[in-house]
Amino acid sequence: MPFENAGHLPNRRGGEAAEPYDLPRQRRGITPQMHGRYPDYNVLEHASHWDEQTRTVVLARLEPPEYRHFEPEELPTLEAFCDTVMAQDTEPRIPVLRFVDAALHERRLPGYRYEGMPPDGEAWRRVRRGLDDEARALGAGTFAELSQEGRDDIVGRFSREELRGGVWDTMPVKRAWTVTTAAILTAYYAHPWSWNEIGFGGPAYPRGYMRLGIDQHEPWEGREAEGLAADFQQDVDADPGMGP
Amino acid sequence: MRAVRLVKGSVRPPDNDSAFLLDPHRRHVPGAARMRRYREDDAVDMVIVGAGAGGTVLAQRLARAGWRVVIIEAGPFWDPDRDWVSDEAGSHHIYWTQTRIIGGEDPVALGNNNSGRGVGGSMIHYAGYTPRFHPSDFRTRSLDGVGADWPISYEELRPHYERVERELPVAGEYWPWGDPHGYPHSPHPISGAAERAWEGALRYGIEMRVGPVAIANGQFGNRPHCIYRGFCLQGCKVNAKASPLVTHLPDALEHGVEVRADSMATRVETDGHGRATGVVYVHEGREHMQRADAVAISGYSIETPRLLLNSRSPAHPNGIGNGADQVGRYVMVQGAPQVAGRFPEAMRMYKAPPPEVSSEVFYETDASRGFARGFSIQTISPLPIGWAEHVIADGHWGRQLREYMRDYNHWSVLGALCELLPEPGNRVTLADEADENGTPLARFEYTQCENDRANIAFAKGVLHDIWEAAGAQDVLTIDRYAHLIGGCRMGTSPETSVVDGDHRCWEVPNLFVADGSALPTQGSANPALTIMALSSRLAERLASGRVSGSRSRDGSRMVGVG
Repeated sequence: MPFENAGHLPNRRGGEAAEPYDLPRQRRGITPQMHGRYPDYNVLEHASHWDEQTRTVVLARLEPPEYRHFEPEELPTLEAFCDTVMAQDTEPRIPVLRFVDAALHERRLPGYRYEGMPPDGEAWRRVRRGLDDEARALGAGTFAELSQEGRDDIVGRFSREELRGGVWDTMPVKRAWTVTTAAILTAYYAHPWSWNEIGFGGPAYPRGYMRLGIDQHEPWEGREAEGLAADFQQDVDADPGMGP
Repeated sequence: MRAVRLVKGSVRPPDNDSAFLLDPHRRHVPGAARMRRYREDDAVDMVIVGAGAGGTVLAQRLARAGWRVVIIEAGPFWDPDRDWVSDEAGSHHIYWTQTRIIGGEDPVALGNNNSGRGVGGSMIHYAGYTPRFHPSDFRTRSLDGVGADWPISYEELRPHYERVERELPVAGEYWPWGDPHGYPHSPHPISGAAERAWEGALRYGIEMRVGPVAIANGQFGNRPHCIYRGFCLQGCKVNAKASPLVTHLPDALEHGVEVRADSMATRVETDGHGRATGVVYVHEGREHMQRADAVAISGYSIETPRLLLNSRSPAHPNGIGNGADQVGRYVMVQGAPQVAGRFPEAMRMYKAPPPEVSSEVFYETDASRGFARGFSIQTISPLPIGWAEHVIADGHWGRQLREYMRDYNHWSVLGALCELLPEPGNRVTLADEADENGTPLARFEYTQCENDRANIAFAKGVLHDIWEAAGAQDVLTIDRYAHLIGGCRMGTSPETSVVDGDHRCWEVPNLFVADGSALPTQGSANPALTIMALSSRLAERLASGRVSGSRSRDGSRMVGVG
């Protein structure tokens, strides 16, 4: 019962996350980096139960558009930044920056701008320059060329508002962190691969839910790995329970 | 009422057939296809800016009384089947996402946090909580020495609370707080996440109640039963959750109201005699003007002040209604910290509506807490993107963030709504930038006062203690705000308010403000029901002539004379 106690949670481990590669590998569908808590749950198998409008919107995320807002030279650093914030260190990755780019290009903006902040598209560009400046201070050419430890160090200081000087003095660092990470989180947790990873039921119209109580689940909802321990050795094809 | 209670099922609301005018098999508003149209130079009885909670109820009531009403709405005329999705990120278009500038020491996030756009307004994306204000909310200055006294009392609003609760309809347990009352629909079944919050509250020593939510519990007219899919904040594709689109607009259209969607009001026009003559708006890039005998602004706490401030003329050099520099002041938000608790079992908080159980034990002032006024407690239940914002706000990114996100199904989230006090410096002004129509953008400055900070800190402590009592294994906290109130408040003096107790602008007798911006205080209650009840009261007074309404010689209504 690995998830009944909370020993895997960072607050219970002195702020350190457990090693994600110790999690079960995904057997149905895709999760980012192919690990997760619901190895036999693939939300995309249920797409036929969603209303057409929702299905169109969600399935479009499997084929993100080409870059239209960012310039080619901005991409390596900003992709590395997104992947560091989301700890995406191997394929398969959710292409977070592509969704950020699409939102900026199509002007799907949050509806407010902090005083002292440039428009969101410009804020991202300044963050890119700032990250590269920090990387050069650590001896690398760009943020993308840094080791993971170096990237984590800079992003950690960004999150604690500890970046100073240069481009960081042209806008409130706290707001730059909020603006960029909000867009990253929206892109990542809008993607159905992330729903597989966390066991989210996904779109629920017109089907809805009947089993609302503690430890209850619909027959089609994903089961956490702990409940499937005995099944782990079985072939996926031998498990008839998780079809749409 | 006693005899009515013997009738099985909910009581059909009087004078509002909206639920029965909808299509049982489709979610669009059928009446839109045969909507009445008025000519722009035909001075209608009232033009209303904004088809949200305030504007739509006002229109429906007045239309029932024979008034000819046009609503100018910036956003689209929604068809829930066609326009809305069962998805968080895909619902971006239902929020007001045109740029606004936010500042002050504690800037308030707008957009999906509190600002709707389109027919139905912010009630399209509100969670569905519909508590009443307490009687004390109308007299905080007298009772507690803070905030402001309203020019009207709770008792004047009570019949309209009761009427709107039947129209939505509101489901919930008997309500023991404030003015005790029951609800027309019985409480919904609750989710595991809410059950755990309930248990924790009991162990901590306070009681919660199921509801009150404006979600039909059972079929209501042609509105189906809730299917507990959990996407209330993304627009209800079921038509089970109440919004003006389904609760008042169908009846309004049936009685001759025209809604002009995708039309952004840019200015209130006045004549040389100090009266409003109509509203200028932009539709598909072209400027139009709808003439009217009376004008009501129902654009909520940011856009209503913005429109008034942008309505400059020689007679109103600082904006219409702003002679005493009161427009845009006293904008309030509720402090809305959320604390999440972690449990061994699966909570799966994405199931069932996020609004489930709530408590108003801490609503009133308790001197021993060291601050004035109080807060309410409600279940929140964010979907994944909302949960991610909660986790990162607690300081976790990278692998830590992913771990807490993978743990999503083990968490339940409680939120507080803290009554933050009205301050003159918390205000909407005009920014130096303009939108695509050349209209200056709104700038909203917000800073908490000491009482506000003490209230929020205390509320967070209570939420932590509830989860501790429930046996939570870990907790995560986020500070945020909810709702907007004020900006054109009603009062008893033109020096300290924008409108009088009849929502009438002190300076312009046929100009009204009928939305959340007129409220002088906000309590710890979600504002939708009170905004609707106030419009219901205003409409009753206008239609009965108690607010200087009388027919002129040519048969149109003259409002505000004398």
